[in-house]
Amino acid sequence: MDENAPNQATLDPTLSTAALAALESAINTALKYDPGTRAALTKLAGQILALESTQPPFTIYLQATDTENQTLRVFADPDKQSSPTTQLSGPLLAIAALALKDSSTLANSGVAVMGSTALLSDMQTILSQLDIDWEDALNQVMGDLLGHSMANKIRFLAGWTQHRLQSGQRLISEYLTEELKSLPAKPELESFYQQVDELRMNVDRLEQRIARILKS
Amino acid sequence: MTEKKTTHFGYEEVAVDEKASRVADVFHSVAAKYDLMNDLMSAGVHRLWKRFTIEVSGVRAGDKVLDIAGGTGDLSFKFSRIVGEKGLVVLADINESMLKVGRDRLLDRGAAGNVVVSQADAQFLPYADNTFDCITIAFGLRNVTDKDLALRSMLRVLKPAGRLLVLEFSKPQNSLLGKIYDTYSFKLLPFMGKMITDDADSYRYLAESIRMHPDQQTLKKMMDDAGFSETKFYNMTGGIVALHKGIKP
Repeated sequence: MDENAPNQATLDPTLSTAALAALESAINTALKYDPGTRAALTKLAGQILALESTQPPFTIYLQATDTENQTLRVFADPDKQSSPTTQLSGPLLAIAALALKDSSTLANSGVAVMGSTALLSDMQTILSQLDIDWEDALNQVMGDLLGHSMANKIRFLAGWTQHRLQSGQRLISEYLTEELKSLPAKPELESFYQQVDELRMNVDRLEQRIARILKS
Repeated sequence: MTEKKTTHFGYEEVAVDEKASRVADVFHSVAAKYDLMNDLMSAGVHRLWKRFTIEVSGVRAGDKVLDIAGGTGDLSFKFSRIVGEKGLVVLADINESMLKVGRDRLLDRGAAGNVVVSQADAQFLPYADNTFDCITIAFGLRNVTDKDLALRSMLRVLKPAGRLLVLEFSKPQNSLLGKIYDTYSFKLLPFMGKMITDDADSYRYLAESIRMHPDQQTLKKMMDDAGFSETKFYNMTGGIVALHKGIKP
């Protein structure tokens, strides 16, 4: 780090830039094989999602673009000059978990959100509908025949693994909520979060009303 | 009898009015294989240095950007994608050969409409005051005869709150790295230049001009003296290259 640049990360910018360039290149290469996701991201062109990891401390920015060969721009912005549409802050693991799980709320996730939640919801939907055509990618490398056969095997293996994981997760979840009754069920939790949201809004309205009465 | 003013051209002392033409000869000679040599000399790392420059620039859609000594248009191409249809990128270079290569490469890569090409001397920029949101000069300042004059000229054409970014070779911060770097640039670099462009002298000039260029703190002070505020620098690859940033008050 340089004494003239207090915001600079301790890592040599050459290394951090190389890591981000590699990440950006991998994402954009994968997106080449998913035209649906590419089209959905293009509609969000210009909007910036900032991911601020508090542990370890670093921030990366994801910007959807509508340019050819680049659907998502990944950058660091060391001087924090960008105005993100939405910013997520929290430990890296919590942010990663948020991207992976199918959750409609940020409560108890350990992640704070600032700015528009619309972008976050759009991004989550896009991520859940991600459908990369690996077969097309394999065909380009191995040829149609071998590529197709390899893709079938990978598809079978992925399907089997996903099924096992899902049923395992469902069984554990049912055991904890139904048998042990040590955790509330998902609908109960969501209803609770909704009530908390409504209460918060009611308190906000009441606060405004009191302020207006005191003013008059 | 009046003594003629001199400046450095690598390790040589030359008359001030002679430096520009000597530098021009170097770049006329290397223009055709400039990108190839950059990739070979830096093992592709120059692309990361430029990418970081773009990140620090904070350029956004609709901005006007001046890419001085833009050469083959690496930065201009990226900026043209960021500024979009409503923005403008001016690729400027004093050297006609480099500019031709840059213009052709931009067109070949589909950058058109928001990019203009301009042959201009960094010391006397032919643009109106307060025109640009951001100015970059990547690996160009060390070839300018009067760097202070060029910095003042850049300050003039920047809008208030506009950013100047100077990407340039600098002084390695570690003595061991410095020794390895010296050996590489004075032994291997001219050899590679000879093999690829049949021009060892141009690459010897490159190594010498880097050593004669102001180090990080000196360049920062020059930017302060020219009138920039909030000046700072980022060392990259151990200080082999530094990115200086200043803002027009």
